[in-house]
This record gives sequence, structure tokens and C-alpha cells, in this order.
Amino acid sequence: MQTLDQIPVGAKARVLDISGDETLQQRIVEMGLIPGAEITVVREAPLGDPIEIKVLGYSLSLRRAEARCVSVEDAA
Amino acid sequence: MSEHPRADRHTVALLGNPNTGKSSLFSALTGTRQKIANFPGVTVEAKIGTARFENSEVTMIDLPGTYSLAARSPDERVATEALLGRITGTPKPDGVIIVIDASSLDRNLYLGTQILEFGLPAVVALTMMDVAESRGISVDVEKLSEALGVPVVPINTPKGLGLDDLKKTLHRTLHHPGKKLELDFPEDFKRGVDTLHELVCDLGVKLGYKPARPEALRLLVDGSGPFFEECEEVGGQDFVDNFHAIRDKAAASRSLSMVEAQTRYGAIGNWISTAKQTEAREGRTKTDIVDGILTHRVWGSLVFILAMGLIFQSIYAWSGPLMDVIDESFGSLGDWIGGMMGEGALKSLVVNGVIAGVGGVLIFLPQILILFLFIAVLEDLGYMARAAFLMDRLMSRFGLSGKSFIPMLSGFACAIPAVMGARVIEDRNTRLTTIFLAPFMSCSARLPVYVLFIAAFVPEQEYFGFLELQGLVLFAMYCVGVIFAIPTALVLKKGILKSKVTPFLLELPSYKTPRPKAVARVLWDRGGSFVKRAGTIILAVTVLVWAAGYFPRSSEIDEKYDDQLTSTQGFFPDSVVEFDPEKDTDSLLAQVSAMHTKTNATVAELEEDEELTTEQLEAAVEKAEQSLHQELKAFGRQSPKHRLALVEYAEWVEYQKEVGGIENERAGEHLENSYLGRVGHFIEPAVEPLGWDWRIGMAAIASFPAREVIVATLGTIFNLGADEDEESDTLRQVIQEAKRPDGTRLFTLATALSIMVFFALCAQCAATLAVMRRETNSWKWPIASFLYMTGLAYVVAFATYQIATALGA
Repeated sequence: MQTLDQIPVGAKARVLDISGDETLQQRIVEMGLIPGAEITVVREAPLGDPIEIKVLGYSLSLRRAEARCVSVEDAA
Repeated sequence: MSEHPRADRHTVALLGNPNTGKSSLFSALTGTRQKIANFPGVTVEAKIGTARFENSEVTMIDLPGTYSLAARSPDERVATEALLGRITGTPKPDGVIIVIDASSLDRNLYLGTQILEFGLPAVVALTMMDVAESRGISVDVEKLSEALGVPVVPINTPKGLGLDDLKKTLHRTLHHPGKKLELDFPEDFKRGVDTLHELVCDLGVKLGYKPARPEALRLLVDGSGPFFEECEEVGGQDFVDNFHAIRDKAAASRSLSMVEAQTRYGAIGNWISTAKQTEAREGRTKTDIVDGILTHRVWGSLVFILAMGLIFQSIYAWSGPLMDVIDESFGSLGDWIGGMMGEGALKSLVVNGVIAGVGGVLIFLPQILILFLFIAVLEDLGYMARAAFLMDRLMSRFGLSGKSFIPMLSGFACAIPAVMGARVIEDRNTRLTTIFLAPFMSCSARLPVYVLFIAAFVPEQEYFGFLELQGLVLFAMYCVGVIFAIPTALVLKKGILKSKVTPFLLELPSYKTPRPKAVARVLWDRGGSFVKRAGTIILAVTVLVWAAGYFPRSSEIDEKYDDQLTSTQGFFPDSVVEFDPEKDTDSLLAQVSAMHTKTNATVAELEEDEELTTEQLEAAVEKAEQSLHQELKAFGRQSPKHRLALVEYAEWVEYQKEVGGIENERAGEHLENSYLGRVGHFIEPAVEPLGWDWRIGMAAIASFPAREVIVATLGTIFNLGADEDEESDTLRQVIQEAKRPDGTRLFTLATALSIMVFFALCAQCAATLAVMRRETNSWKWPIASFLYMTGLAYVVAFATYQIATALGA
């Protein structure tokens, strides 16, 4: 299964599900990463981690380890 | 007596996401009539102010910005408790203003739905409409208002638009009961909330309050946190068992937080489908373009390093002229007041204790303001979040997060806001590590120590035409703390503060032009609190230190030196003893003295001239001295009386030197005999390996409550009993010339480095330790911090002195 950390910079994806630690899950969904949400990966930080995504029209930064909890499918 | 000011006076709470313009709205509504509210037991800051609405006054509470009311820590629970009026000393709100950023409507409304469930009369203030428009987003205010069931008022605080409308709408709303928002949660979930609500209501008597339904919802979803702990404490195992049973039942296949988020975002999506139109815009937004540079692999890192470098160079270079002004003003103030007072303890207290002490601290205000100017501008600009984004990888290697970077950077200004700022970090262990490390960052209170010793002992040299050696040493001092913080962090995170996940979810807000008013407010608040500290703690410590250094005043010592003075006077002719160049301006002796004074002034002026090279300076000084020599020769040729005046002048110089020596010895013996001196002597064996003598040791002791005090203390120690000429010297010159009993210089470069390193690492700040205690809710952390940092400071200062001495510094 594909997770958000595998999506290349510039590509779009759609959220399928969130897994992992309960607190982390809550943080992620509260920020708008719920199933069906469309995400664009904007860039990665100079040191390769974290990444910046666009969701719900705003910019959010999260670590690759956290992005791994977000399973996604490709979106055009 | 009631805590509420007046029955008819309303209270309104301001809530919203971070970066929505909530604080500037608060400032616009309340003006200068605001103060920081202290919530017991937590560290989040809220402001309370008074706004004038129509003909009534309204108390406004600006609650900390948050994305959700979910509460896993006491700090996160503050908003809920404030809404329910459960915070002592803070009135219960009669209504709320929910600040919503129109450019990020969906996410902002998430918090909105949570607040509306409390059923308080509410008004939505819609900000950033212009930003939304520039992105092709248009919001239909009426439709949004209809969907939410509360009035929505678009505002533009910087332009002052919509504020009157907001006030009027709020005023109207406050006189009607609010409507509770009821979202369409799944049946199982709703039942879970209801059952849990009954369960916690049964605990109401023991809790001391009746929990509201939205609290039960939070408890159900959050599963842990301060409210759970409270219930567990009064409800025991029975409660815990029931709680888990209810939770298991409420969540069928998905996690409860997912159910909550999907329901809320689902409702928001429905509202927005009618209220928000998005027209696809080609091209990137301004923020995207700027971020393309500022978070770029190469350019972003470069800008970051340059920005940090610029801050350090500028606080060093820009503050000079302002510092001179403050220095001179306090010098003249001391002279002026001292001139009106008789000799004795009171004059010494006022001039050497109070004025010199406060002046010596206030002189560093310009540097603090410059540093905060940078921090405030970067914060307001939106760059601080980018800094966290850039630094996260690096910080996470040391077990911290990019979010630790902002508190850490603030730590360079002051550890107190840094320790408090650590609350943005959700993970408890990362947070504690950040709190423990914050005091390692060189705060502005250490800057005075560095500036004083660097200016006095590090030679002025330039490399490559722009890198100053003094600036480099300053930078190195800032690095000392960081260098020792890193292994400390690793040990902490590997050992006692191990944690599995450290969430790093950070909004990167759109860039905004820094608002001069907001920046000015930060400068005013920070500058003000520093001045207050100078006026209170530091003044108190200064006076205490002065008293400890002045008393007991032994009359035996005075008699001994009075005798010496009398016998010295016996060796010189009366005309020499009685000569006072300030009063006598006519005599031949005065004329000779004037010629010398004039040349000395010329030489001093030449030395100040930074454009001269060393050779040019030497040549110019020699020329000035030769012309003085010629003048004196010509003067002496005029008559035998003139020649006698030349001899008398030489005798007078000799006499002044002897009197000065006696007075200094008298001052020194008084100080050594004082209480402070006795303590200094007592610890001298312990500080000797650091290259210190008893005076530095006692200055270090005196500065444990607040480290900037050392500057004032050194001033007091080296000025006590000094004669007029020395008093006008700057502290820098005084310490440069300070001698040990054997006549060698007290401060060498090695001593100066050892003192600076000690101050870089030592936990000399009572206020930080107190805040740490408040933040961690235990004395364990401040005590550990104090012992660890002081021990480390001693060891490293020892190593620094020994190595520097071995290298010949």
C-alpha cells in the first residue's frame, strides 16, 4: 500500500486511511487529513525531512515518519 | 465580594487558530488597556483587556491560538475551562468571538464547530478576506452565517474595516441566548457521549463542578489528558472500567478521533459547498514563490545562516551609539546628584549603589531591543515556522523537534519565554528536554557580561575586511551553550526522557508584511519587562550587594589611612597640597596644569579616532607631546617663578598619585573587611583554579539571582570608595586596570574567557528556575537544571582557564 511519504514532490494524492499511534492519528485528522482529502506534496526540507504538503488550501509540514501513517492513492 | 467587576458588564472570549490575526484584533478592540492574565497551574498566556462597545465596557479575554479543543495537557485544556468560567480570577464569558481565516476556511471552522457546541452567544470574525480573494476564493458571508447559525462579520484589522460592525453585532448577540450547535455524529458516538456525560456528572460533587456535554465528548475522544486524570482521581478504578467500556462501545470500526474529524469536516464541507466559491487560479501565490527561495535546499539554508549571522553582528554593532548615550547620561546623573550630597554612606548608596547599578544594567537595553526586533519581525513575517521546517531534521537528531527551534531561538533572548514557548511541543518528553536545554542558549542577560569582557580584553582586529575578532568571540560564546546542549539532549533523550513518537505537524502560514504596531508591542513588552527587572530585582540585589560591600565600616581602617594621608601631606609644600585645578585657574601652577590637560584631551581624542592606523596614531601622539614639551620649555624660560611652577606641577602629580594610592588601599581594605569580602575570601580557594580572585568569586555569587547583576556588581566593587577621576572612568577601563595584591593584572584574556564561559553555562537566573518549576509542575527539573548547569559551568570554566593559560593568553 502506498503511503504519503512515498509521493514525489509535485504529485497529488488522496487520503485513504490513517494508522499509527492514537494521539498522532488525532493530530493528523484534526489538521484535515481525513479519508478523501486531496493532498499535493509541495517540497521537502533541505535536509530531506520533513515534507511540506498542501491540504484544504493551506500548507502543512510533517515528518516522513508521520507521512508513513497516511495511506494514500494517486489522484490526478 | 464578586470576581465579576459588575453584573451588567459583559465578558467576551476570543478564540481561533494560530496565525489568524486574532491578537491584532484583540489589540484593535482593547487598545492599550490590556494585561497578561495568569492562569494558575498552566503556562499558556492569555491577555485580558477592556473594550468599549456602544456605551458599555466589555472585558475581553484573548485565549491562546489553537487548532482544536482536544486536551492532552493542562495547557490545552485552558480554552475549555475559560469558556466554562472555571478559571479563578477570570470571569465567565457571556459570549465568544471566533476568529476565522477566510483563506483557510475549512480548517478554521473545525475549531469553530467545537466552540459552537458550548452554546455561548457567538460571532464569527472573518479575517484575511483579501488573502482569500487573491487566491481566487470568495466567501458568501450571508450563506456562511446561515449555515453556522451565528452572525459572520468580515473584518480587516490593519485597515480598521468591519470593527464597528463586529462590535454592534456582538452587542446585539450578547442579549440573546446562544444556540448550541448539534452535528450529526453517528448514533453509537452520540450515545457514548451521553452515557459518559452521565457518568462524569455523577462525579460532579467530588469534582466540584458539573461537567458540560462538550467536555464529555472531549473525554470520550481524547481518552486521556487532565480531565481524565481528574475523573480518575475522584472516580477511581470504577470510573476507569466504565470509561473503557463506554469507549469500546462508541467506536465501532473507526477510531473515535476519526469519527469526530470526519463528522466535523463533513458538516463543514456541506456548509462550504454553498458559501465558498473557488476559482482555479493559474500561477503560484506570493507565499509559494517566496517559499521557493526561503525553503530551497541551497538558497533557503544560505538565507537562514545569513539571517542568524546578521542578528549577532548587528546587536553587537548597532547598539554602540545608544549605549554610549545611556552610559553618559547615568554618569552625569551620578555626578550631578553626588555633587549635591555630602560624603558618607548615603551618597555612596545613591551614587555607587543605585545609579551605577541601574545604569550598568539599563545600558544593555539597546541590545535586547535589537534582538527582539529581529525575533518579532521574523515571527510576524511567518519566517519562524519556516525556520522550524528547515531545522527539524537537525533538531530531531538530538531528540528535539523543529518546534523546539523557536523556543531555543527565543532562548537567545531570554530563557523565560523560551521555557514557556516549549508548550507548543505536544510530546511531553521532547518538551521537557527543550525546557531543560533552553537556559543553555545564551540569553540577552549574558550579553552584558560578554560585551564587557570582550570589549576590555579581546583585541580589535579584522579579518577579510568585515569579520571582527570581537564579533567572532561573541559568536563563539553563543556557540558554547549550544555545544554543551547537544550531548545533554542526547543523554536525556536516550535515558530518562525516551519517547516513541514526537508529532511534528506545523502549519506554514502565508507570509505577511510585519505590522509595525505588533512589532512595537513586542518591543514595548519585552523592553518594559527588562526595565522592570532592572528596577526591582536587579536594583534590590544591587543595593544588597552595595550594603554587603560597604558594611561594616571599620573606623580603625579609616584612622590608619587618615594618619597616612596627614603624613604624606607633610612631605609636600602647602601650595601643592592645596592646589585644585577645578577652582584655581589663574596661578602659574594652574597654567601648567591646563597645558597638560589640553594635551591629554588631544591624545584621548586621537585614540578615539578609528580611522587612524597604529603608526599614524603613534606619530600624532608624539607630535602632541613634543609640542607640549616646547610650550613648557618656553613657559619655564619666562622667569624663575615660572620654572618653580613646573617643579610644583611635577610634585603635584606625585602627590596625587600617592593620595590616590592611599585612597585605593583604603577602599580595598574596607571592601576586603566587608561581609561580601569575607564571603569572597571564604570561597577563594574554590575559584582560584578558574583564574579568579575573591572579588570575581563574590561578584559571581552576587549574580546568582540574576546574571546581568554581575556588571553592576563589578561596577560597585571596583568603584566603592574610588575618587572622582576614577569614578568617571568606564567600567571597562576600571577592570582592565584592576590589579592583584602582587601588582599583576587581575584580568587576563584567560580570566576573561573563563568568566565568560562560566556565565555562558551557569544557571544564574532565579526567574527561569521559577518558570521551569511552574512549567514542569515539579521542583525536580529546576533543581536538576541548577545543579547540572552550575557544575558544568565550573568544570568548563576551569578547563578554559587552564588551556588558555597554557597557550599563553
